[in-house]
Amino acid sequence: MPKFKSFVLAALLAGFASQAADAHAVWFAQRARQTALIYGIGADDLDAVKRFSFIEKITGYDADYQPFAASARIAGPIVLVDADQQPTLLSVVFFNGVWSRVDGEFVTGGRDKNPKATLAEKNYKYSVSIMGPLSTPIPVLADQVLQIVPAGPIPDQHGAKLTYRVLFKGKPVSGAKVINDLINDPDQKPLVSGADGTVTMEVRNQGLNVIQAVYNGPSDDAKQYDRIENTATLTFTLAHAPE
Amino acid sequence: MKHAISAALALALSTAVAAPVLAHGFSKPQHGGIVTTSGETLFELVAKPTGVQLYVIDDDEPVSAAAMTATLNTSVGGKMQSVALKPATGNRFDGPAMKLKPGAKVAVMVINKATKVRMGGTFVIK
Repeated sequence: MPKFKSFVLAALLAGFASQAADAHAVWFAQRARQTALIYGIGADDLDAVKRFSFIEKITGYDADYQPFAASARIAGPIVLVDADQQPTLLSVVFFNGVWSRVDGEFVTGGRDKNPKATLAEKNYKYSVSIMGPLSTPIPVLADQVLQIVPAGPIPDQHGAKLTYRVLFKGKPVSGAKVINDLINDPDQKPLVSGADGTVTMEVRNQGLNVIQAVYNGPSDDAKQYDRIENTATLTFTLAHAPE
Repeated sequence: MKHAISAALALALSTAVAAPVLAHGFSKPQHGGIVTTSGETLFELVAKPTGVQLYVIDDDEPVSAAAMTATLNTSVGGKMQSVALKPATGNRFDGPAMKLKPGAKVAVMVINKATKVRMGGTFVIK
């Protein structure tokens, strides 16, 4: 069975061979009042259904940050999340496979498959969505190898500054590249987290904000890939004025 | 005939004009409780000594409680308590009395039994 799953994964990844792996992210967003898992970048809300098997884990957290079960399901062309209670946080772990750069293009597989690769990397994507009011700081979530946490209260209005802390394996990490609006400004020049893991940026949207951090960690299989690229997003929504 | 058409048109337009005004009309409690909204979904929680009541209005329409499940979750003494509510008349769900202190958060999740559509929100008790 594991061999079959590997084969399916490899076959799926082969279908995406021409796409760059590193730019995309996963995040949660509302679609027709339901919580959907989005795979994409900028305005590209890509095919999450095709990538359904890449979802390793989805977890809901209550107001005390205690975890509870949540799951993903395919609903037509999108992937929805089911939880039996309203989460304060929702998180996902998404394995995006192993990629190699060959002749300037990213192709699937590691160095065994692509011995001429100039770069080979394993890709994991993580996301945490704030879906309810917070009374205490967001803790380290064990399965979020790369995690962005707000280092202060989230403002009510866009335009205000907010400091974020990037955590790698639960510890503040320097050198993570952070942007403050993956949807509306994905090509912006990232800020790089300092020694304390923080960056301070403007909250851009009176609506959905998707903050993205990318950090390359060491390889756990040096023969196959040079590094593990970790991409994390943090999402939260600022309410609009009453109508 | 012309008058009849004009009257019908005027009536139709008056309905159309009324719609946007009504579209965001329900943001206040209708039953003396506290409200939380998620998009165009309004939840109202009424806490009485004898029990709690939850009312749900979605897109300006009262939902049919009979077609839904409703659950409240709140932390009591550091332990999460989950309360399944029972459908009552109209868009009302009933449950047992809950001791809710100021600052407590009450998460609500309503699920349509047939479509599995979920509607959720969080009350903050003041």
